[in-house]
Amino acid sequence: MVSTFIPRTLQEALAIRRETEAHPFAGGTDLMVAYYRGVGVTPVFPWPVMLISGLEELKGIQKDTQGNVIIGALEISAHIAENPLVPWHVRQAAGRMGAISLRNQATIGGNIGNASPKGDLPATLILLDAMVELQRVGAKRLMKVDDFILAAKKTQLAPDELITKVIIPEPQKEFTYVWYRKIGTRRANAISKLSLSAAITLSEEGLIEDFRASSGAAGPKVERSREVEKLLIGRDIHDIEKLLPSFLDAYDTVICPHAMPEFRRLSTRKMLQYFLLQCVKRPQSQIII
Amino acid sequence: MGGQTGMKEKEIANPIRRVDAIAKCTGKQKYLADYHFPGMIYARMVRSTIARGKIIDIHVPSLPDGYYFISYKDIPPEGKNELWMIQKDWKAFAEHEVRYVGETIGLLCGPDRNMLAALREKVVIDYQETEAAISIEEGLACKGGAFVGENNIFCDMTTNSGEDVTKVFARADRVFEETYRTGFQEHVHLEPNGAAVIKENGRFVVYASAQCPFYIRKSICGLLALKPEDIIVRQTSTGGAFGGKEHFPDVLCGPLLVACNKIGKPIQLAFDRSEDMAFSVKRHPSKTTIRTALDKQGNIMGMDIDILYNVGGYLSCSFVVLQRGVFHATGCYAIPSTRIRGRGVATNTFPSDAFRGFGAPQTLFAIERHMCHLATFLNMEPLELKKKYLIKQGDRTNTNGKIFEEVKLPEMIRQITDASDYYRKVKEYKPGCLKGIGLSVYNHGGAFTGNGEQVLIKAHVKLHKYSDGTVEILIGSTEMGQGFQSACRKIVSQILDISIDKTIYENPDTSRVCDSGPTAASRSTMIVGKLVQDAAEQMRDRYAQEDDFEVETVYKHPEGFPWDQEKFQGDAYIAYGWGAAVVEVEVDPLTFEVDTKGIWVSHDVGHPLDELVIHGQVNGGVMQSLGYASMELLENKKGYFKQDSLSDYVIPTSMDFPPMESFLVDNPYPFGPFGAKGMGELVFNGADSAYVEAVSKAINRKICEIPIPPETIMELMEHGN
Amino acid sequence: METKIDFTLNGKKVSVTSDPMRRLVDVLRDDFSLEGTKEGCGEGECGACSVIKDGLLVTSCLVPIGAVQDSEVLTIEGLSETERGKCLSEAFADGGAVQCGFCIPGMMMAADYLLMGNPHPSETDIRLGISGNLCRCTGYDLIVESIKLASERGQGLW
Repeated sequence: MVSTFIPRTLQEALAIRRETEAHPFAGGTDLMVAYYRGVGVTPVFPWPVMLISGLEELKGIQKDTQGNVIIGALEISAHIAENPLVPWHVRQAAGRMGAISLRNQATIGGNIGNASPKGDLPATLILLDAMVELQRVGAKRLMKVDDFILAAKKTQLAPDELITKVIIPEPQKEFTYVWYRKIGTRRANAISKLSLSAAITLSEEGLIEDFRASSGAAGPKVERSREVEKLLIGRDIHDIEKLLPSFLDAYDTVICPHAMPEFRRLSTRKMLQYFLLQCVKRPQSQIII
Repeated sequence: MGGQTGMKEKEIANPIRRVDAIAKCTGKQKYLADYHFPGMIYARMVRSTIARGKIIDIHVPSLPDGYYFISYKDIPPEGKNELWMIQKDWKAFAEHEVRYVGETIGLLCGPDRNMLAALREKVVIDYQETEAAISIEEGLACKGGAFVGENNIFCDMTTNSGEDVTKVFARADRVFEETYRTGFQEHVHLEPNGAAVIKENGRFVVYASAQCPFYIRKSICGLLALKPEDIIVRQTSTGGAFGGKEHFPDVLCGPLLVACNKIGKPIQLAFDRSEDMAFSVKRHPSKTTIRTALDKQGNIMGMDIDILYNVGGYLSCSFVVLQRGVFHATGCYAIPSTRIRGRGVATNTFPSDAFRGFGAPQTLFAIERHMCHLATFLNMEPLELKKKYLIKQGDRTNTNGKIFEEVKLPEMIRQITDASDYYRKVKEYKPGCLKGIGLSVYNHGGAFTGNGEQVLIKAHVKLHKYSDGTVEILIGSTEMGQGFQSACRKIVSQILDISIDKTIYENPDTSRVCDSGPTAASRSTMIVGKLVQDAAEQMRDRYAQEDDFEVETVYKHPEGFPWDQEKFQGDAYIAYGWGAAVVEVEVDPLTFEVDTKGIWVSHDVGHPLDELVIHGQVNGGVMQSLGYASMELLENKKGYFKQDSLSDYVIPTSMDFPPMESFLVDNPYPFGPFGAKGMGELVFNGADSAYVEAVSKAINRKICEIPIPPETIMELMEHGN
Repeated sequence: METKIDFTLNGKKVSVTSDPMRRLVDVLRDDFSLEGTKEGCGEGECGACSVIKDGLLVTSCLVPIGAVQDSEVLTIEGLSETERGKCLSEAFADGGAVQCGFCIPGMMMAADYLLMGNPHPSETDIRLGISGNLCRCTGYDLIVESIKLASERGQGLW
């Protein structure tokens, strides 16, 4: 008979984790579905489980003195979506996860820890170079989300660790323009077929000081390529028409070749092209739609 | 029909509050899973995991006390392992041969569902797997060898009208030919399938979430060598059905009956959603080829239509589904000469069965696409061509029958083209501009084909007046959301001039009510409602004088509508429901997603029995049709449905489509209650074609297949012609 | 591995001793005979099992009872006893929102949750508010109209 623990504090949770390797169970929106066994039947997990959604220490959204946004791992995506401290991209993704009830239950820690290729939050976190704080009894470490998630459903979480915080650094300069699109299987309550998050920082004269793009549901993990981004950084936005073909071709290779690659590549291409061409026009609104 | 009846007709249309609304809003309404019987145990189905082959051995884990594994071996020697739908081919339990993934092999029964889940995971079945045929093409090619007859054809039917089509085509100047395809569709009734069997006073009693309680007892009684009337069936309030609970409950109830007989305890089987998605009946996929003979001036001389439906492993009611597909193959058009052939192909997929529209949606989709593409071929606007051939009162049908009623399509088309500003938009939205607007016309023959009502069903209706003045409606028709219980009570209340609270219509118990036929084929209002009206009228004169009495009415087919079931000639239907739809879309150039900007529909259902109920039915049917066209992709890979959960098989949410504008035209049907005709299925039959036409125009590509999710739209835009 | 879980159910303090991983939907239906909460899918997709837990709309098929310690849970039965619930029922009944009814308890909970946060929602707000509740019968239009009707009639209730 496999055990279920209900720790009352983070320390207790870490101690249980160290002793039993009990899996953290936060909102349950992934685990309860994956281990569903029928009407009137209790899910059975192949490992001990630890119900942690009550741990208040892992909640909260703040900004620290350096301007980093700190989100507790057990913050539900509904709160993340409406909190003005949270960067725009992350709020967009959080607000489009599943449906209202899902957003009231699913946590950011769970979404990262589950590492589903179709997860909504990681693509935006990786865009922003977000970090996770991992704690074990007596120790902490920080790691970029992009390094933490290795592949589909695989992370660097050690058997005695828990994700405790997500830290999103403030970009050096505020983004001039931002883009987020999730293509779901329908207009609401949808799993992601593809997402594109992008951001650009332009000087007054049009120099591309920063450019980032990440693709979700386009491979076993979030796809973001600094090499491809570098093709635009340092260039002039007014040259974008000349730069686009080779940039878009390079970005094509970022999208995984399996599972509807043509649709994902083409849609991504069109969105990137549209985003960048709109930026040239220097519109008033920061949000390109 | 004089002034007084005229006033009554107007009153009947006024909405009332549905009799079951408050119970449903407060959570008090019971559905199958809410019924508990003393000593009740549960059942879990053990099913085939291969598409085709032989069962070599079944390894059941050792069962604790009170747990049983029931299989075909538990059918008593005098019983027969068959479920009698149309034929007796579908087995209650697979014996040695399996024909599809999901075929019932056994039932694990016992008191604790957690234990049952654990036991089920331990059942191991050894198979000798053989090559399976999945698609229509593979079935026709007899991949793996034919398993039905010599060439995997369950049924093959042809109907002709007008001059011999071969002669017509020989004279033709040109022939326009195209093939159209539709996919599987899952009902997704929010309440999954469920049933329970108990023994009461020595008789078996079946509780089922079902459309046709009388079908169930006839289908399963042979398992125990009983007569249908030996088994009592009680329908439980059904949380949606749409055809998915017309014959399919037999597949639950048959094994449950055998189990209850063996074990001697009440047993309940309630599917979870994943079982319902993966292992229940679906809409038949179709492949329809239409060849149109044209003369030099571009007039249609004749059509030769070939229809193929993917039946699956057993017949279920596919013969009748295909038949309706054949009769609707020329849609709302009068075609001078026709030959229409339909074949039901055997494949190793879960048998397909009834689903709102019942075979008509597939061929109506085909003919609507055909007329649109033919119009382009002839350099005409689609609506221009369609109007030219719209069938009218007195015209001949494709079975050499007649249209007896006034066809109000021209008025309906005017209503929706005005409301949607269709003509301006169709000119303004140039093909490929990513905006599009499409119009479709459609119909649905009311009730059972030909003389099926007279010969097969013979509906009976009984009303009982009690001494306290209440009147009970004793019919086998079922409430599954469509509002029939409220409608009948309204009819009786209106005619007897008593409060609706004095009318009673409970979920049918076959030992108490008459067999009024299946709740299907859009026949309930038209046929049964009329019989209820007749009975009430008969009761009216006696109501005040007599304390406690019954009135019974029996269906009588009106004279003058001959039908030859052998040759498929004559009047397939006495009357039709008619519909017209306009859908406007905008396609996102970046993501290929479709934004529907407007939906305008008009229907002729004779006369409304309740405007609010009709409004709700229209919304629901149109939404299912739009889902069918736009997002409900259901693929079968090697016998398994790939989209087998509600997150993968997507049906529309409240955000996917805008509110609809809905019109009605009045066209009272003389043989229907207060002039009403059937409507339950009609409302499914056309929005899909209007949607596809709109998208086709928006992207300037031909579309001959549904569904068309964004990735398909992308492919069409990148690679289509 | 049974645990005692104390929580408030429809305003009353209750207790259940259970495997903490038992689903809230099963505890409600089987232990408390509150069968108004329906299981439509078991995967949090259809919304038929919706309840309000600590002021948040959640799908009870995904909530383990172990996570309900000290929580406040409101089901359709509890909502129906309130003035808000009666207003919603009447509006749904008058507005033609109900067909087969299986999605309706979940829709009622979602409507109450929506109106609690936004007593005068627009059509778009309402559609978003029920976007996690699947309905196969009604095509949503009359449910949306009925919620609008409830918000108009129910001045001061939310």
